[in-house]
Amino acid sequence: MASQKPLLSRAAKLAAAYALALIATAFFAFPVFWMASSSFKSELDISQYPPVWSFTPTFENYAKLASELDAFDAFVNSAVIVGLATTLAMVCGTMAAYALARFDVRGKEIIAFEVLSIRMLPPIVSVIPMFIIARALGIFDTYWLLAAAYGLAGLPFVVWVMRVFIQDIPQSIEEAAMIDGCSRFQTFWRVTLPLLLPGLAATMVIVFMFAWNEFLLASMLTSQNAKTLPVIAANAIKPKAIAWGLASAAGVVMSLPVVVLVLMMQRYLVRGLTLGAVKG
Amino acid sequence: MAIQINNVYKRFGSLTVVNGVSVDIADGEFFVMLGPSGCGKTTTLRMVAGLETASEGQIFIDGRDMTHAEPRHRDIAMAFQDYGLYPNMTVFQNIEFPLKIRKLAPAERRRKVEETAGRLGISDYLGRKPAQMSGGQRQRVSLARALVRNPKVFLMDEPLSNLDAKLRAVMRTEIKKLVTDLGITTIYVTHDQIEAMSMADRIAVMRKGDMVQVAPPLQVYDRPTTCFVADFIGSPPMNLFKAELANSGRVVCQVQGFGDALDDAERERARAMADRHGHFAVGIRPEHLQCVAAGTPGSVEGIVELVEPLGQTTNIYLLSGDTKYVVVTDRTTLRAGDTIGVIAPGDKVRAVGLDR
Repeated sequence: MASQKPLLSRAAKLAAAYALALIATAFFAFPVFWMASSSFKSELDISQYPPVWSFTPTFENYAKLASELDAFDAFVNSAVIVGLATTLAMVCGTMAAYALARFDVRGKEIIAFEVLSIRMLPPIVSVIPMFIIARALGIFDTYWLLAAAYGLAGLPFVVWVMRVFIQDIPQSIEEAAMIDGCSRFQTFWRVTLPLLLPGLAATMVIVFMFAWNEFLLASMLTSQNAKTLPVIAANAIKPKAIAWGLASAAGVVMSLPVVVLVLMMQRYLVRGLTLGAVKG
Repeated sequence: MAIQINNVYKRFGSLTVVNGVSVDIADGEFFVMLGPSGCGKTTTLRMVAGLETASEGQIFIDGRDMTHAEPRHRDIAMAFQDYGLYPNMTVFQNIEFPLKIRKLAPAERRRKVEETAGRLGISDYLGRKPAQMSGGQRQRVSLARALVRNPKVFLMDEPLSNLDAKLRAVMRTEIKKLVTDLGITTIYVTHDQIEAMSMADRIAVMRKGDMVQVAPPLQVYDRPTTCFVADFIGSPPMNLFKAELANSGRVVCQVQGFGDALDDAERERARAMADRHGHFAVGIRPEHLQCVAAGTPGSVEGIVELVEPLGQTTNIYLLSGDTKYVVVTDRTTLRAGDTIGVIAPGDKVRAVGLDR
């Protein structure tokens, strides 16, 4: 029965590891749970102390969100603006990254650094110039302004990250494709792009999340028509009190698209985020 | 299809990688470019493929000027050192890819892929991804992908370098047989002299961007034109002794006995290839030197420094005066410290030009 002991201790170690993992998960998931459950509570249930664990769920907060704060319009605004910005950043950024990774561009290291330097500017610095430019162009409080701002903000990130992903693809694969009869563009479309999907997914999620959650520019560069969700959600905090139910409902609505996106991209994400760690 | 490379240069900034290479490769020829790393052999190959653009000069494929054509318009196939397989596609899809790009009908594609896979012995792996295969199998897939569209020119860039020695020997004969049977003009780049010797119809030995000698393998072996070629081919390499043509027409050699062994024809060659100071080298292959008893008339006295038995042959390292050289013999009872005589047969001693 000598072999029984190490077996037992191994089982114990495994159990401990699982227990730790569960505790950690609970720790990080609890605020999310609290937000979600609060969004279904009535005003009365929310203000209970000690907190109540069983209550009659109500959609009151969501209804109020739509009627009082125009959340539906804001959701559409957010979706359009962030969708445009993410597409713009991903398409232009990936193409720029490809050029910087593969072509003999004169001074490309300087160009790459220059692209990144935009990120070094604190966003607040550019708010006032952007405001003035937007007024002059007549695009203040439109989709275009925020879409352009978010797209440009995401661009350097896309260029830098995608450049590394592209460099990780052996050049001989592309050369083989060109010899096999592809033009440069066909090579990119049929051979390189499929191999880049994990990287693209990971990068896209990050760019999307940044734009989706952005508050500073959104609050300063919109007034009525192009208001986005974060601005609306902030309105739940009123001068005299915080409307907890409303804020929670806004939080849930804001989180949902990100969650859905991550779930959709999950297949690629795990590979994308760990790519480069292990050579295939 | 014949290939002509006409005075081609490749420069990267101030660095000249290929320095005015000219060579005509005949239809169906197996042409090997051999040289150490950095000699410009791969760059020359890539210019024929269209993956690099020549800085100067022209490349003709089948009589047409292809110097600036895109790779896809050259009707060439290529095998890469790291295989260049598409990792996200199965073996079948990899081999099918060039046919798909050329928009062949699916049934026709399937037939060709299966036929080519059968020829290369990979029919059982068509459903696998490249990552699930060994190096040798991957190289077979890359060869199949190259051959599936019946190319007229096949370029190979060190295709066997990533394989172990045993597999390399097997693949070597297979590739040679395959392309010879199909009659494809092949340019093969390698740094391995055994590959070059065993496969080539002609070898081009390259050094620092120049093609130093272009000749059939045995001619390169028997009559190297420069010390670089003599030293690069053969293992152990050719023994080279510094020599000089005196004004009287006499040959003065580092080991005079070997210099005296030059026959009249080689003396003529020496006159042609010696530099302006009359310097050249006397070259003798280690297996052509004969060990005899010390003091034999016409022999050079040498002291045995080291004996290296290799089984099939034995390397004997000798010292004559302060000149070291090697003799390859059968098994021997000689031991370090022995004094022996060495004879160089007149018809085996070569005049070799110095490197420029």
